[in-house]
Amino acid sequence: MTSLKRSVDTDPFASNLSSKVYVRSTKNGKVQKIVREVYLRQDIPCSSRLCSKCIATAPRSAAGNVSPFVLSDKPAGTKAFPQGHYLVPDTNALLNAMDLFEQGSAFFDVVILQTVLEELRNRSLPLYNRLIGLTKSQEKRFYVFFNEFRLETYVNREVDESINDRNDRAVRHAVKWYNDHLGQTKSKDVPVTVMLSDDRGNLEKAKQDKVPAIRLRDYVSGLKDAERLLDMIAESQERVASKEKKAEFLYPEYFSLSKMMTGVKSGMLHQGIFNVSPYNYLEGSIKVPAFPKPLLILGRDNINRSVDGDVVVVEVLPQDQWKEPSTKIIEEEAITKNENADNDEDAADVVTEKERRALQEQVKKTQGLTTEGRPQPTAKVVGVIKRNWRQYVGHVDPSTVSQTARQGRKQESVFLIPMDKKIPKIRIRTRQAGELLGKRILVTIDSWDREHRNPVGHFVRSLGELETKAAETEALLLEYDVQYRPFPKTVLDCLPSEGHDWKVPTSTDDPGWKDREDLRGLLICSIDPIGCQDIDDALHARPLPNGNYEVGVHIADVSHFVKPANAMDTEASIRGTTVYLVDKRIDMLPMLLGTDLCSLKPYVERYAFSVLWELSPSADIVDVRFTKSVIKSREAFSYEQAQLRIDDASQQDDLTAGMRTLLMLSKKLKQKRMDAGALSLSSPEVKVQMESETSDPIDVKTKELLDTNSLVEEFMLLANISVARKIYDAFPQTAILRRHGAPPKTNFDELANQLKVKRGLELRFDSSKALADSLDACADTSEPFFNTLVRIMATRCMMSAEYFCAGTQSYPEFRHYGLASEIYTHFTSPIRRYADLVAHRQLAAAIDYEAMHPAVRARGRLEAVCKNINVRHRNAQLAGRASVAYYVGQSLKGRVAEEDAFVMRIFSNGFVVLVPPLRHRGPHPPARPRRPGARERLRRRELHPAPLRRLRRAVELFQKVRVRIRDVKDEATGKRGAKMELVAPAA
Amino acid sequence: MPLDTSTYDLALLRVDGRRWNELRRLHAQIRTQAAADGSSYLEMGNTKVMCVITGPSEDAGKRRGLAASAATAPGGSSAADVAVSIVVGGVQFCGSEEEGQGRQLQPPSVGARSSFRLFKVERIQELQATIAKALAANLHVHLYPRSTIGISLHVLSQDGSLLAALINAATLALVDAGVPMTDYLVACTAGSTSTHSAGDEGADPLVDLNTQEEQELPFLTLGTLGATDKVAVLVCETRVQVSRLEGMMASAADACKGVRNFLDQVVREKGHKMVTEGAVEKGASMAMDIDI
Ligand SMILES: [Zn+2]
Repeated sequence: MTSLKRSVDTDPFASNLSSKVYVRSTKNGKVQKIVREVYLRQDIPCSSRLCSKCIATAPRSAAGNVSPFVLSDKPAGTKAFPQGHYLVPDTNALLNAMDLFEQGSAFFDVVILQTVLEELRNRSLPLYNRLIGLTKSQEKRFYVFFNEFRLETYVNREVDESINDRNDRAVRHAVKWYNDHLGQTKSKDVPVTVMLSDDRGNLEKAKQDKVPAIRLRDYVSGLKDAERLLDMIAESQERVASKEKKAEFLYPEYFSLSKMMTGVKSGMLHQGIFNVSPYNYLEGSIKVPAFPKPLLILGRDNINRSVDGDVVVVEVLPQDQWKEPSTKIIEEEAITKNENADNDEDAADVVTEKERRALQEQVKKTQGLTTEGRPQPTAKVVGVIKRNWRQYVGHVDPSTVSQTARQGRKQESVFLIPMDKKIPKIRIRTRQAGELLGKRILVTIDSWDREHRNPVGHFVRSLGELETKAAETEALLLEYDVQYRPFPKTVLDCLPSEGHDWKVPTSTDDPGWKDREDLRGLLICSIDPIGCQDIDDALHARPLPNGNYEVGVHIADVSHFVKPANAMDTEASIRGTTVYLVDKRIDMLPMLLGTDLCSLKPYVERYAFSVLWELSPSADIVDVRFTKSVIKSREAFSYEQAQLRIDDASQQDDLTAGMRTLLMLSKKLKQKRMDAGALSLSSPEVKVQMESETSDPIDVKTKELLDTNSLVEEFMLLANISVARKIYDAFPQTAILRRHGAPPKTNFDELANQLKVKRGLELRFDSSKALADSLDACADTSEPFFNTLVRIMATRCMMSAEYFCAGTQSYPEFRHYGLASEIYTHFTSPIRRYADLVAHRQLAAAIDYEAMHPAVRARGRLEAVCKNINVRHRNAQLAGRASVAYYVGQSLKGRVAEEDAFVMRIFSNGFVVLVPPLRHRGPHPPARPRRPGARERLRRRELHPAPLRRLRRAVELFQKVRVRIRDVKDEATGKRGAKMELVAPAA
Repeated sequence: MPLDTSTYDLALLRVDGRRWNELRRLHAQIRTQAAADGSSYLEMGNTKVMCVITGPSEDAGKRRGLAASAATAPGGSSAADVAVSIVVGGVQFCGSEEEGQGRQLQPPSVGARSSFRLFKVERIQELQATIAKALAANLHVHLYPRSTIGISLHVLSQDGSLLAALINAATLALVDAGVPMTDYLVACTAGSTSTHSAGDEGADPLVDLNTQEEQELPFLTLGTLGATDKVAVLVCETRVQVSRLEGMMASAADACKGVRNFLDQVVREKGHKMVTEGAVEKGASMAMDIDI
């Protein structure tokens, strides 16, 4: 009997074979041990152009190509290394200063070790991706050296050696090898390979081993642009020294992860996303699955270093600490040093298990009752599961910059005031404080320790002078994470090579015509705002012999040009939507498609995706079908032109007749929707976000004054609903749909209560129909704006609509509350919304036009797409509004205006008013390709607390007041804002 | 955790340090269990399998029980059955392949739940059928009428290219059992260094994939007869562009040649050793000639 010996012992290659053991915890919490083989080899090149040895054994791809060597033969040097150097950063150097490595002026010829790359990937995927991006840049000359696979540089972990120590040793060992290896070349000026690190221990060991190494900060100090570059190093590492001083802790310590997990599992702790109140930066709330209403988190200590958006774990506070939600408006920059008085919370943890359980019950009980005047359950943050930190735009608080720093080069800490009011001030250390004053700058948060009152971050770059258009525009694009860089070449390469000369093939035998219906004979036209270039919908109607009508909605066939999973599709899926700013549009798809090839321009043939109905004279659907088509629009009307043409009785041609049919049918469709309980949250003068499901900002200008606006809107809604049904039938799991949840009743409590008390009006909200009807009844004959005000306030109580994947919800949850439709999707604007593009692909598959691409079929991937476009959609709206706010602010600059306003919310030290559409006198914003809606010109501002104390009793909700609006720049903080004063409660 | 397969392009190195055309360390032993008719042990990297051959034997009782329906089939009794069973983590799955007929499967025996989560019963049955079919075509089964050749395969550890390893182990054990065959039936996997969705036409092919590579990349398993390019097995269960297929198959075929040479060497060394140890008389009839 032969024994099965451990084969490795006898294997001649055994010395070149190693194995790595990884421990991975699986989803269900079990621990899995994974053994990986590692093949060690000697043909991994150093990639230095000086080396002749490695080139001989350099690896070849299957096609026989050798990758060119990367590292320069004459790398740059510094004072310390006049002969030139190759840099080898360790993991911490990259974690702390990736911004530095991306500089165009320094950090060339860098060797990235595999050890470092792996560690970085585990620590931060975004940084890893940025680094991979750097290795692809030819100018930067970054080379990834797979030291863990090279026999000479592989390092075995020693007994009792921590993984970190082992990895540090691997880095030093590789640096040593590089120096020895390059020393063997004949060249006279051999560059030094230098380890860059911030780890003291690592640097000391390198010194002992005679491995060239330098502290990152020291290295940067020796560079030309040192001051600017030094600021980019993360703050966290500086702490090492200061920590030894044993600073006093300002915040409670976080629980350990396991303690939090156990707590959450047992229901004693709760996990959720931390949100900061827009009115009070010291008041947060968190919605947790266990309770119907959000828990309040009040004060610095309880907020305990959470930043808006972080995923945190909270503990409910004892009942005697429950409080009413704050009745004050508190802005961070308004508060000076007052909060310095730390209320030392005695952390005596003597509450028993039983008491805690009772507490959870009490939360439920209390939340079940109305909120009026009753203390609400509060909680404190005991730990952070996931930080939602991003880069923040803001400006340096001038009051924190010392006079010496304004002139000199002394490094000092300054506060950055973020644009986003919910984000706390960020402390950054800089030597260029003087230069940063008055600039919009971008920073990141590095850490927030117990000993720091504010988070600590570092400077990334300057966007330009405050209040200049370029800087402010870029700032808000960054703030709302809008991808605004020009489309890369890989994306543009996906466009048809004919460019603007592309035409629908003349021969119907061309593959482009396959399965397309020839609808060129139909009298199709488009109706859009004046000057619209990206026409993505067109319509037609004609009578049928049986007395019914054929109606067609024709949508630009964008999916013909954007194939799934290519570079253009990927880019569009990331952008998610076109973003409209006051004077700028950031396209989702390249211009060539949006404004030409996909645009259903008149007089030319275009590919379209058509929805064709047979409608009865009472606008009931008799039949619907979908087809890819070729159309030729007869005319592109503006809303006004279309209205004039319809109204002009002398026009008796077929096209006009078709438009009259469309108008007649659209009115019936609208009536049906209204009867079903669709909400109209708009009024003639103000258009509110909610009901504009299909509208784009272009539509807003006309403010629904013309029937033709509603004509287009109705048929787009109908098309979206029909398509939604079709793709849901075909793909019950993966169809991309849009839902609008019914608002929780509790959302309306406050408003309904106030309406009753103050005006004796009843607001019913048991169904969207009831709400719609009771909103209609909320009128004040003497004040027409009152109804609008109530509608706007009701809108705030609503949920926001969202995209979702059919399989993730049960059918009743599909409902679109605002439109009172069982099912809904977006189909009609594929040029500027990615969701519509996905719906197009699904519809094409549903009618067997083409096979479903796996990217459109995989549910997991679609869910990710939905998640992204929901965020992008929201951000695009916020960015658009911020853009308008900026222009309004600019137009108000230095002026004083008196306006009527309505009280929306009352605090003990101020109140919030709504100023109806502001007529800007003076310079209008510059010519805009898209006009923002009237709603966006609404302004609400917090009143200055001071004059109010006296007047408080005189002001009540819904009341019309007269306010004086002044544009004020706070000299202390450099922040501009409108200040309002109450002139008088209006008569 | 280590890096993933997307870093290949950085230095033309795979996740375990191999080049695109390198096999993992191969190790094999033949006649590992003296009591069996034939046996082998084979490692391809961390994929470790064992094979035990029973037969060819005229086991009437078992045969009747196993293949009641086979008796009625035309020509069913003229050649030996190849019955393959695969044991993963102590659970046995049985299947048999009738010469020229469809497969017959016995339900898997009820045992402890497999600790190898990856293996669904259907998956094992497919593997069994594939192996049985390929071997039945290669072995001279017509020499053993009314017989069964039992091939019992044990998966000791799995790190990719399992089907290939099982086929290679079975071939070795069948050589040991002295069952005449046309040539070594050898197998290897080949993949492509970028994912299907990346659509990278210039992607390198790569051979002998480990588990991580199998999970992240498109791949196929190819079996050839000896060093020829005659394809006996081709299994591809992932999506891959047709244009990449040729390169993958060519590199798999090349890799199969390497595997074949390795198996041949194992057989020859064992034979040589047996001769020198006197276990076999020099010149005794053996199914192979031995160069000393
Ligand atoms: Zn070299």
